[in-house]
Amino acid sequence: MNHPELRDHYELFALGLADEPEKSEIREHLSRGCEVCMAEIRKAMELAALVGATAPAAAPSPKLRRRILASTGYEPRRIGWLPLAAGVALFSLFAAVYFSGRENQYAQEAANLREQLRRQTIDLTRLNEAFAILAGPETTVTTFGAGPAPPRGKVFVNARQGVLLIASNLPAAPRGRIYEMWVIPKRGNPAPAGLFQSQADGTAMHIQRGPVDVAATGAVAVTLESEGGAAQPTSTPVIVAPLER
Amino acid sequence: MLLLPILLALRVAEGDGDLVVRLQRRDPEALAALYDRYGRLVFSLIVRVVRDAGIAEDLVQETFLRVWNRAQGFEAGKGSIAPWLLAVARNRAIDYLRSAGGRERNALELEETAHPALWSDIEQSLLDSDRIRRVKAAMDKLSPNQRQAIELAYFEGLSQSEMAERMGQPLGTVKTWVRTALRSLRDELGTAVPA
Repeated sequence: MNHPELRDHYELFALGLADEPEKSEIREHLSRGCEVCMAEIRKAMELAALVGATAPAAAPSPKLRRRILASTGYEPRRIGWLPLAAGVALFSLFAAVYFSGRENQYAQEAANLREQLRRQTIDLTRLNEAFAILAGPETTVTTFGAGPAPPRGKVFVNARQGVLLIASNLPAAPRGRIYEMWVIPKRGNPAPAGLFQSQADGTAMHIQRGPVDVAATGAVAVTLESEGGAAQPTSTPVIVAPLER
Repeated sequence: MLLLPILLALRVAEGDGDLVVRLQRRDPEALAALYDRYGRLVFSLIVRVVRDAGIAEDLVQETFLRVWNRAQGFEAGKGSIAPWLLAVARNRAIDYLRSAGGRERNALELEETAHPALWSDIEQSLLDSDRIRRVKAAMDKLSPNQRQAIELAYFEGLSQSEMAERMGQPLGTVKTWVRTALRSLRDELGTAVPA
């Protein structure tokens, strides 16, 4: 049987409808690798596959995939854990960032507290020193600045403890300048007695520790100097407190 | 996260030939990919034949296991594995129908493993949606008797004698319907079914 005679039978063969003797003839051609029949049968199979693909679309249950894979002994990755794992990872990341931020915050707060404590310790020390001067039985007190506008305050001088200056209405020193206290002897040049700044509210407290020759001291004064201070006053004093005895 | 769509796209872009090679290496991920690609198509065909979703799922499982176990006999070429897969599915479903109905198993002249070379060069895009639409349109153009004959042959595995009996028509008439229908489909899909 030649190929033109088989022409109308390839599709019947592919659908399982071929009659004898064509069915056996095609089988025989295929078994000896007949290229013509192979090509014709391939086209017939393609047509059959297309007919099969016209079946109305339907969806199997979601479990079927797992069932099929399980029947090969394969345990598919449990995708269900993925969101949970991702959630845990995300939460861990969030927690790490959050607690890292909190840790930084706590560290900052601790540093602030340490700084605050340091300042308070300094203030306490100064107050102790100031108290020692104030409480000294031989401390002399001098008031300065009686008018309303100028700086006002008191100077306390103790021969063993030093000099304490307490002022108000003392404006902030201009940028690059600082207040410098002087102990002015009755004879000779003023002696530098430390640098200080006034507070934002115009108050100031400055202590110059150490023994003072009260009898030889004529006054305590304050001038504005450059930031590093000066060996001798370079400006007109803003405070002058002649010691009273 | 940005990598995920790229990886998925790469997997989709993988040809059937590569999938067959992986199946032959017994890579279960390949079977999963094959199911993801053709599982619905196979199920649709089988449920059309057996008309029972539960039985169809059993037969889909049987189909994919058969492919898994017989992939070595498939020649991995550049073509699509889908026609082979559909042939396996159809054979399983019609086998079921015949055994359930006590009928002789005579519809499967072309065992899917008989001539591996037949399946290896089928065009990759044979079963794209455009071609399926065209074959549906071509089926709609057939007369009702012709269409019924083709459907009885393909989806129920009836021989022409069984169709004649089912349709209450002379065998010769049924044979004419079948041949005319196949010729019409061939002509309508002339460009769809490559020479």
